[in-house]
Amino acid sequence: MALSGAIERCAVLGAGLMGSGIAAHLANAGLPVLLLDMLPKSGGDRNAIAAGAIERMKKADPQPLMSPDAARLITPGNFEDDLPRLAECDWIIEVVVEDLGAKRALYDRVDAVRKPGSIVSSNTSTIPLRALAGKQSDAFKRDFCITHFFNPPRYMRLLELVAGPDTRPDAVAELAQLCDVRLGKGVVRCKDTPGFIANRIGTYWITCAIDEAIARGLQVEEADAVHRPMGIPKTGVFGLVDLVGLDLMPLVAKSMLMSLPPDDDFRRVFKEHPVLGRMIAEGNTGRKGKGGFYRMNRAGKERVLEAIDLATGEYRPSVKAKLEAAEAGRRDLRRLVQHPSPAGEYARAVLVQTLAYAASLVPAIADDIPSVDQAMRLGYAWKHGPFELIDQLGADWLAEAVARAGLPVPKLLELARGRSFYRVQDGRLECLTPAGEYARVERPEGVLLLEDIKRAGKPVLRNGSASVWDIGDGVLCLEFTSKMNSIDPDIMALLGKALGLAAKQYKGLVIYNEGENFSVGANLGIAMFAANVAAWPVIEQQVAGGQAAYKALKYAPVPVVGAPSGMALGGGCEILLHCAAVQAHAESYIGLVEVGVGLVPGWGGCKELLARWQAEPKLPRGPMPAVAKAFEIISTAQVGKSAAQSRALGYLRPTDGITMNRDRLLFDAKQRVLALAEDYHPPKPAEFHLPGPGGRVALDLAVDGFAAQGKATPHDVVVSKALARVLTGGDADPLDVLGEDDVTALERGAFMEMVRNPASLARTEHMLTTGKPLRN
Amino acid sequence: MATYTAPLRDMRFVLHELLDSSALAVLPGYEQATPGLIDAVLEEAAKLSQEVLFPLNLSGDKEGCTYENGVVRTPKGFKEAYDHMIEGGWTSLACDPAYGGQGMPMLLSTVFEEMVSSANVAFGMYPGLSHGAYRALHAHGTEDLKAQYLPKLVDGTWSGTMCLTEPQCGTDLGLIRTRAEPDGDGSYRITGTKIFISAGEHDLTENILHFVLAKLPDAPAGTKGISLFLVPKFLPTAEGRPGARNGVVCGSIEHKMGIHGNATAVMNFDAAQGWLVGRENSGMRCMFTMMNAARLAVGMQGLGIAEIAYQSAAAYAKDRRQGKSVARSDAKETKSTDATPDSRTKDLADPIIVHPDVRRMLLESRSMTEAGRALSYWVGLELDRAERHPDPAVRQEADDLVALLTPIIKAALSDLGSEAANNAVQVLGGHGYIHEWGVEQLVRDARIAQIYEGTNGIQALDLVGRKLGQDAGRLLRRFFHPVSAWLEAYADDPALAAYVGPTAKAFGRLQQATLTVAQRGLAKPEEAAAAATDYLRLFALVAMAFMWCRMAETARRKLDPAGGGANGEAPFYKTKLEVGRFFMARVLPRHSVHFQGVMAGGETLVRLPAEAF
Repeated sequence: MALSGAIERCAVLGAGLMGSGIAAHLANAGLPVLLLDMLPKSGGDRNAIAAGAIERMKKADPQPLMSPDAARLITPGNFEDDLPRLAECDWIIEVVVEDLGAKRALYDRVDAVRKPGSIVSSNTSTIPLRALAGKQSDAFKRDFCITHFFNPPRYMRLLELVAGPDTRPDAVAELAQLCDVRLGKGVVRCKDTPGFIANRIGTYWITCAIDEAIARGLQVEEADAVHRPMGIPKTGVFGLVDLVGLDLMPLVAKSMLMSLPPDDDFRRVFKEHPVLGRMIAEGNTGRKGKGGFYRMNRAGKERVLEAIDLATGEYRPSVKAKLEAAEAGRRDLRRLVQHPSPAGEYARAVLVQTLAYAASLVPAIADDIPSVDQAMRLGYAWKHGPFELIDQLGADWLAEAVARAGLPVPKLLELARGRSFYRVQDGRLECLTPAGEYARVERPEGVLLLEDIKRAGKPVLRNGSASVWDIGDGVLCLEFTSKMNSIDPDIMALLGKALGLAAKQYKGLVIYNEGENFSVGANLGIAMFAANVAAWPVIEQQVAGGQAAYKALKYAPVPVVGAPSGMALGGGCEILLHCAAVQAHAESYIGLVEVGVGLVPGWGGCKELLARWQAEPKLPRGPMPAVAKAFEIISTAQVGKSAAQSRALGYLRPTDGITMNRDRLLFDAKQRVLALAEDYHPPKPAEFHLPGPGGRVALDLAVDGFAAQGKATPHDVVVSKALARVLTGGDADPLDVLGEDDVTALERGAFMEMVRNPASLARTEHMLTTGKPLRN
Repeated sequence: MATYTAPLRDMRFVLHELLDSSALAVLPGYEQATPGLIDAVLEEAAKLSQEVLFPLNLSGDKEGCTYENGVVRTPKGFKEAYDHMIEGGWTSLACDPAYGGQGMPMLLSTVFEEMVSSANVAFGMYPGLSHGAYRALHAHGTEDLKAQYLPKLVDGTWSGTMCLTEPQCGTDLGLIRTRAEPDGDGSYRITGTKIFISAGEHDLTENILHFVLAKLPDAPAGTKGISLFLVPKFLPTAEGRPGARNGVVCGSIEHKMGIHGNATAVMNFDAAQGWLVGRENSGMRCMFTMMNAARLAVGMQGLGIAEIAYQSAAAYAKDRRQGKSVARSDAKETKSTDATPDSRTKDLADPIIVHPDVRRMLLESRSMTEAGRALSYWVGLELDRAERHPDPAVRQEADDLVALLTPIIKAALSDLGSEAANNAVQVLGGHGYIHEWGVEQLVRDARIAQIYEGTNGIQALDLVGRKLGQDAGRLLRRFFHPVSAWLEAYADDPALAAYVGPTAKAFGRLQQATLTVAQRGLAKPEEAAAAATDYLRLFALVAMAFMWCRMAETARRKLDPAGGGANGEAPFYKTKLEVGRFFMARVLPRHSVHFQGVMAGGETLVRLPAEAF
């Protein structure tokens, strides 16, 4: 294996949406990037195209950049003046227009200036590697491969890596390692076949799903609803095409038809549909166009969601599909495809054809089935890959269904008859190989998954909302298992037990889970219910109980490392604030958002954030600057939109680690525990020098100012003032030194005051029933 | 003998002193409903109930309704009483002035329903059903239908029914089979059989309007495919007179346990012409809008029967002499030689009211009846606010409270009607068991209220399954927050300690039970279902206790010379305080049983296999 770190500088050629997005993500990983494009036709700034792309990315949402620092790592330039600078680069990524001639011409120019041994890759999705590399120098061929990113590059985890027959294996390994560890991608090795893996199967699926819907007279809402129990994105198939762009569909299909083998089943399912042609002609190309299969009609007084009637091609008000088949299939995919209804038959037709197609492509497009499954999960956001779906349906059932449909049964599927594609043997996951044997699914070094640990054994401790696992080397892992990983009294209880166990027999504890979000906060439903029945002592007890549990976490005799990915909000943020260290996935969104539901952080969040900012040497001296900073962040419910941004807000310390690859998070967190455990001493309690009533008046004045400008609602004022009281130390004299318990007592008081306020309850109720904040 | 005098003083106490009945007159459209006018209407209602309806109660029960060839005759005197009632304008009391109504609040109608139910519940169902029909049509009918039919329902010359139940379905209306075919002219042809139709056929009015749930062709399965239709017995002529006979006939009437004076009919619809009320397939929604009022009305039937049962038993207990007071039996028996037989009895025996166990029965009935009255009038008032208050936030809050407490009132007060009627039979002893004393009839008449308009088991499921979890428990807030605030405000008031202490304890358990039911029910709906009836009864007892707390506080205030004074009514207010103390000491403790039932969980209910039953 090549040494990681050999690639230090990169260049991206082409500053379109994909090129600039790839450049941004390289910068997110801390790599300096040269972003080049053509000279602008209009003259002026010769770097205008690349520079403009960088500026646009600073404002885009979702943000391609993880931090302002990342933006500074991108240097704009142009193909005329700056090509010689490629000599400084270790990896050059070509992301120009999908035109073979244009690409080859550029490669000639690149080859002339690049340094020997630098890697060149193309982001092409349609042109075979052999065509791209064909006429280049031998040296170029050795250093050339395809790295196919998905859009948007920061968020889509799939990276398809295609090596040619001449590509240096060490270059491929080095690139794979970099993309995996530093860019955080799921790197899937593909063969040089049209559409590689994800687009090959994805295009077939979309084409088949649209064709079957039209042929069977299903409406778009129905077709999309049927896809949900299959674990296919919330958008369903038509919603996905709206997102990608309808106009892209014929182009992709054309490219596929040109390059696919003559007997490929895509040729059978592909049909021209006048309704789609008409939509594209009228500019209804999806979300970027005037509308798509769905559109929001803003013509009238109210916004009306509309959908295309597939039969007439006219828009009509969208009707939410409620299908018995989809309901029946929620837990059991077989019940969906066997449901005696048009929706069930549709699901069967789409799945049988798509899954059979996928099965027919291995080993032609990939060496093994996990690669195919991973590509569809990471590149198309399918919840399960095609072979995992086949296992849900049963290989025998599918083989018979394929035969009944009059289609050839793929060889691989025949092999799987009477068996499954995946199995667990001795607690280890195995997959069926194209040779008909089972082989272990190996994880790369540095990847540790709770999913694998769960296969191999039972939890050390568990209750209704959490489990504790032994992850080896003397380290425990606390996993939340509650709904949305919300924090409730059961989690608090198991946290206490886990700490007790860890103190006695283990080196430390990781708090980690493999849910979509680390935790969206306290279980508001339970709190709301208790508030609705006026069970104030119960609520106060839960607040105090959480404070005590987090305090025990902070002063545990062994190190506890929090390892979030996704959202860590409210109580989920507070638990991290009390950990000895945090190892955060780069895509961690951390924040104290309690004011959104009319409350103040009550589990030590105010206290810890205050302590963080008090310890920040860059702030001016005196008690007020830290208080003002914490107040600003909490009173506006600021959430970091990446781990880097969360660090800027003080939710993460400079010493806290960031892991780019989701699959490496647990391993890194465990290493962190082991490192800390070597000589661990619990932290010293913070002391607080707070400004008291004088400081509170200043904050209150600021709040009143915001209200007068219309920036704060009446209830914002109420909640902000309660928060100000906590952060300024209540009635403390500025000369008093307050302890941690003094501040948590103030938190508790303010929390109880707010939870009894009807306007706060209205906010919480609104959040629970609509999922949106109420601005009262 | 059964005896009834409308408890006007108690009613005024609740309406004007406990609740703020003057809040009604500030609601748009209710400007005339001042406390003075309310009292005047109630005086007249009392006369009607006592002098016209009550005398027909026993005879109506004995004679019952008779059926012959599709024609039903009501008991002797019912027709005259009904005519008297509509001449007095009683059917139009709480109806829209636009259709000839008097525009009085529903609260007033609720109080009137209590009186009528005391006096003659079987009779009261005829106008009662009409009023339900009126509300459905008023809320959902087209302008044409409303103009054509509402004035007739309002003036009482035509009556109404609700046709829901069919032989194969009662509670689960998704299973109905009655069909409605579009006729091409905007009307529909209704075909099917409905059973248990109260007031389905009778001789009191010149026409009967049936409100029928039926399924359109191609309607979705289940309750989402049900529509509501108006099917008149006689199709109206252009002049609005009853015209041609429609294809709906009464097949028979049921022989029932009670409410003999009310005809419970099997109705056969054979391509009967009908008109859609509300939108297609929205029949259940139409039903829901009148459900709260209809369930409150059934609660009033239970309350009304509890009141007459108590009055009859109390009168008997003060008159009937049997045995000697245990308190006095220690004293030496004095012999009298020259006494008349009558005075001898007096000397040898005391009126049975001296016996603690007789008092127990009387006070149980009375203390729950008075609390039930306060609770149901409170909800009646909130029902008016929910419909009429100009501020949508207030309307929503009122509607929440009504939705929460309605199943409790329906179930708890109909249970109370049965309990009080049984207590009365017990107090009367052997006489209670004899028809002509008119008390066993109360047991039979009260029983149906626990069953119809959603059995009390269904009410409990409605409470735990729908009302508890709705909007993250928001409905609960409308009850728990005022109770919590009130208890906090009076926590340290020594004069109310006998009321506040026990209520606070029971309230704490209700809070705990609510959180438990919600949490268990969320994980496992069967657990909530298993706890439902105990939970409802626990809730009802706490709600009654809260009403007693507030009544005691009101009475104490009135007795305080500084707080307005009792105006010579000191005995009335002192009695309130005493009855309330009894409730706290002897009735409220029942909540413990129900609390423990809730907390025990459902396991022992489900373990036994069905074959073992």
